[in-house]
Amino acid sequence: MSAPVPSRPREETFIEEMKRYLHLGEIDAILLKRLLPRMEKHLPEMVERFYAQIPHHPGASRVFTGGQAQVLRLKSTLQAWGHGLFNGVYDERYADDRFQIGFRHVRIALDQKYVISAMGVVRSFLQEKMFDEFPSREERLAYSQALSKILDLDLNLMCDSYFRATMAHLQTLNQELEQASLQLAEANAIKDEFLAQVSHDLRTPLNSILSFTKLVLDGLCISPEEEKDVLRDVFSSGQLLLRLVNDLLDISSIEAGKLALQLEELDPRTVLDSTLPLVAVQAASRNLRLVDETLEQQLPLVLGDEIRFRQVLLNLLSNAVKFTPSGGVTIRGSTDHALGFLRIEIEDTGIGIPVEKRDTAFEKFVRHDRAELRGITGSGLGLAIAKRLVEMMHGKIGLESGANGNGSIAWFTLPLASHAQPLEAQPA
Amino acid sequence: MNQPAPQMRKQRIIIVEDNALVAKFFQMALERAGGFSCVVTEDVTRILCEVAAGEVDLVLLDVSLTNAEWDGRNVNGVELCRLLKGKSPRHLPVLLATAHAMSGDRERLLESSGADGYLEKPIYDSAQLLAKVHELMA
Repeated sequence: MSAPVPSRPREETFIEEMKRYLHLGEIDAILLKRLLPRMEKHLPEMVERFYAQIPHHPGASRVFTGGQAQVLRLKSTLQAWGHGLFNGVYDERYADDRFQIGFRHVRIALDQKYVISAMGVVRSFLQEKMFDEFPSREERLAYSQALSKILDLDLNLMCDSYFRATMAHLQTLNQELEQASLQLAEANAIKDEFLAQVSHDLRTPLNSILSFTKLVLDGLCISPEEEKDVLRDVFSSGQLLLRLVNDLLDISSIEAGKLALQLEELDPRTVLDSTLPLVAVQAASRNLRLVDETLEQQLPLVLGDEIRFRQVLLNLLSNAVKFTPSGGVTIRGSTDHALGFLRIEIEDTGIGIPVEKRDTAFEKFVRHDRAELRGITGSGLGLAIAKRLVEMMHGKIGLESGANGNGSIAWFTLPLASHAQPLEAQPA
Repeated sequence: MNQPAPQMRKQRIIIVEDNALVAKFFQMALERAGGFSCVVTEDVTRILCEVAAGEVDLVLLDVSLTNAEWDGRNVNGVELCRLLKGKSPRHLPVLLATAHAMSGDRERLLESSGADGYLEKPIYDSAQLLAKVHELMA
């Protein structure tokens, strides 16, 4: 550039600044406008040259997925772009139009180097045509310079738009990353809390086992009966510990996706009959009624894993018994033939569960923290395990308030065997 | 001290602990190995009553309580300890027990509660428990 760059006026836009640097002035605009009728006829060939180049780049197959229609559309866009070069108007609208290019290409992940190199093809093609149009060197020189300036201007506008589009894209990615890292930190905090809770819950029965064993070993019991009584506490603490460890193993294998279910046709009657006696003892020891209303019903066959069906039932039933100081627990069944599922609900007259805690009740180690819960022990994993198991059997699970606002209803559904897809279509 | 004379009143310890099995161990260890008379309760009114009457020789207090209520709200061992100290007509040793053992906890809990001693759970040796109790009662 021979002439000094004029000082930058206030409020200068990008295109004005570029025009100033390139010394693209009114005269060039007039020259380019005059070029239009002579160059217009070459534009279709220019477009062909351009697209002879572009689709051969690696990655082009990913971008050009719209077939012939897409290529035709792109060609007409490029022809309009070529037309714009010679239109003699290089204002803000011109800049805005050019500014879209980078954003469009970044959106479809087309690398800028292909377009920039294709621009080289366009440049040499057009300059070559100038020789045909203006055999005289003197006449050609002024026109050629104007063409060169407008091509430079376009290249600058395009690079700027690529840069801005890439920045915007990176910013979006950055925000997504930040979001993901926040979620990760949150998950990690939950895991830490889980670990602390597990350690505490494991240590409590373990301490009882150690302290009561030591009492007996130290000879501090005053009678064989008292010794037996203390040993019973040792035994039940051991049982609690085992249950907790089993629940932990279950939840970790479920979450690792390692628990395989055997889905088969099951008679819910058989499962209920083999499960209820286990809870009946628990209920009787606390003077609770245990009523099975399904005894008067004909329950349809369902599709499920027998062991896991029983486990869900047992978890919900022993929860109901655990949280019911007086009254009873009732089991009901209902069949929805239209939607194809059996719903089993367990209603208790217990302390109930507040509405705001219903959604979180199925998460790991979420318990009531109410004063009535003294002496209630358990892994705190029962509902979390039940939810995952029911979902693996393609059912649903939930909690509701009891009939007159007292107590609560825990329910779950299992698909009817008659309604299910053929067995082989079910995921294992 | 282990075998008080029959006409002497047994020394009385109140055990405030929400875990029934832990409380049972404390009670058996203190009664059988220490010859104390113990009561297990979380009833704050009752505890304060007995303390005010000067009938209590030591309180074994768990920091995290589920059932202790005062003034219509739940109180923990630290708050209960301050209440006890205020009600007692004479020096009443309070032994604070907690499972949440972390460094720094000990000093912080002792200072905020005004308790005389600190016991880190788990405790499963009655001798260890008695040693601490005797130390505070001496």
